[in-house]
Amino acid sequence: MTGSRARLRMGAGRSPLLPILAAALIITAGHLSIADATIRGHVTSVHVPESPALAVGEARREAAKDVALTTPVAGGDPPQAGGPPGLVPGGAGGLRAMSFAKPNRGLLQDRQTSFIRDDLGRPFVLPDTAPERIVSLAPNVTEILFALGLGDRVVGVTRFCDHPPAAKSIPKVGGLVDPNVEIVRSLDPDLVIGFRGNPLRVLDRIGKLGLPVFVLDIGQGLEALFPLIEKIGAVTLAGERAGRLATGLRERAEAVGAAMTGVGRRPRVFVLLYGQGLWTSGGESYLDDLIDRAGADNVASALPKKWALYKREQILKDDPEAVFVLSKTEEDFARARDWLERQSRLESVAAVRAGRVHRLDEDAASRFGPRLVDVLERMARLLHPERFGEAL
Amino acid sequence: MNAGNQRRVFWALLVVLALGGFLLSLLTGPVKTTFGDLVDFIRQYDRVQAAIFLDLRLSRAVLAFLVGAALSLSGAILQGYFRNPMADPFVVGVSSGAALGAVAALSLGIRFAAFGFSGQGLMAFASGLGIVSLVYLLSLRRGDFRVETLLLTGIAAGALASALTSFLLFMRSDSFDQAVFWLLGSFQLAEWPQVGAVAPWFALGLLLAVWLARDMNLLALGDEAARALGCPVATVRKVFLGVATLLAALSVSVSGIIGFVGLVVPHWVRLLIGPEHRRLFAGASLAGGTFLLYCDLLARTLLPSELPIGVITAAVGAPFFLYLLHRKR
Repeated sequence: MTGSRARLRMGAGRSPLLPILAAALIITAGHLSIADATIRGHVTSVHVPESPALAVGEARREAAKDVALTTPVAGGDPPQAGGPPGLVPGGAGGLRAMSFAKPNRGLLQDRQTSFIRDDLGRPFVLPDTAPERIVSLAPNVTEILFALGLGDRVVGVTRFCDHPPAAKSIPKVGGLVDPNVEIVRSLDPDLVIGFRGNPLRVLDRIGKLGLPVFVLDIGQGLEALFPLIEKIGAVTLAGERAGRLATGLRERAEAVGAAMTGVGRRPRVFVLLYGQGLWTSGGESYLDDLIDRAGADNVASALPKKWALYKREQILKDDPEAVFVLSKTEEDFARARDWLERQSRLESVAAVRAGRVHRLDEDAASRFGPRLVDVLERMARLLHPERFGEAL
Repeated sequence: MNAGNQRRVFWALLVVLALGGFLLSLLTGPVKTTFGDLVDFIRQYDRVQAAIFLDLRLSRAVLAFLVGAALSLSGAILQGYFRNPMADPFVVGVSSGAALGAVAALSLGIRFAAFGFSGQGLMAFASGLGIVSLVYLLSLRRGDFRVETLLLTGIAAGALASALTSFLLFMRSDSFDQAVFWLLGSFQLAEWPQVGAVAPWFALGLLLAVWLARDMNLLALGDEAARALGCPVATVRKVFLGVATLLAALSVSVSGIIGFVGLVVPHWVRLLIGPEHRRLFAGASLAGGTFLLYCDLLARTLLPSELPIGVITAAVGAPFFLYLLHRKR
């Protein structure tokens, strides 16, 4: 007993804080060197092209349109405590640039270098050879990969990836919000494509294992789909096919737009997501954009959200002339339609009276993939059948 | 069996359990692996297996062990500090306070690394210390220190901190995943740098605690008696409170709030090897690490998708807490 007290007194003048300070100093020195490296990483990466969108040749023309898309909506997450900056999303450029292996100033100034920024603004080094083992962490990404003819290279998907049917037999790595890092690693992928909805912490952990992770975000409206496809084409070195796919889809969308020019009356449309309550798509959703392109007005357009809970009184007031029900199956649709007709006060709504309640495939309409153009065409034909005598 | 023998059996069993826990952790995961695979991997290096065994599973097991040890040591210190067997970093509000600090750092975008750990770790420490000081001051009325007041104040302050944490998290767009992590804890995304951030501080905390353990034994007699026996009470108290808060805050900043570890483990250890603090601190550290290692194993195997580990520790710890509370009456 006396021993420890004696040391207390003489060691640090009645204060045992000295050993703490000494140890803190040692540990701080180690960490400061990391912080210092971070700052230097920042300095060397100043010359990374400022455009937040594609930095690569052919796709650069998309850059101007892309600015909105590339806002890091999923939030700027600093790394978990103590981690050295590996793949760090968001925030100032310094930490981000650390994921980029030793940037070379000369190369960076040359705009023809082979890297691209993902939708979190992080540089992604394009591979020399086309990726052979791709893991897709979202259903829409899987659909795009298959549409690009890369289905046989997809080695891992989420449990929600069921389209096209061939995707169902691919090993599952978990769900959109709970992809399993260990399973992803065990598939030994040479490309992992993440999407909005995947937790950033999980994506970072995958990146820290040394796997190339490319993260995509949903943009504003249907227009964002085309650069999304081109970006997937760029990282899979299937740029040409992606360009063709995007152009084809764009032409179909523009054909709908052309058919709608000079449309006289724009019907009021309400979208109902089948399930609990009156969930609808607000003004920030791409469905709002699709309705607009299909020559109609979304009654929930004023709600500044992607998905919003609507009020029954508001529907009565809006009196929509057409209702689109998003449902997985025809049975669900029948149930939703019955429900709308049975609701004592909703039966007076114009759409319900006129029987203009239509089904949209929930998966096609809720995944930001190529099938959105099918949805657009279907909407346009249902809303303005008179316009499609010869237009399409 | 005399006390010395009983202690030897305790240590031997604990070491065997800990090593077994590490081995099980290496072999358990969503990717099926057998003991043979591990032996093959040790014989011949394989890139994918190296990532799974070393980078993912071993780092996770080591971090779980370290955090368990740190929380348990923190609990043992707090129980001695408050002379109260119900104290624990979660109950007195340190953990919730630390989580609030870490999440605030996250939301404010504080990401400097200085003073030995990240801004997140530092904010966690500061806010954990703030909460525990507040709880201490509020429960110290007219020089009278009541156990019930301490517990209630701690739980209320912890709830307030958790509410603020939730508020900060739900302002963010990726809130759900983050909220579950911070409020219930998880080692799912453990990595070696986190081990590096906790290990030196834990080692320092353990050394300090063991070094000052005799003073803690004196504190058990009451501050007046301890002072009369020559213990620099004020200084020792400051150091212990600092160490306990630091250990809890660091644990929270890497793994979120994991409750009740610091409550139940020191209790069990005290029952098995007695209340002497030097042995208790060392024993509680080893036992806490082992306990959390097995809790983590349960967390990842009970359901197809992972459970937050706080669910497991609360399921074990809360009934024990109730039992203690009942017995006290």
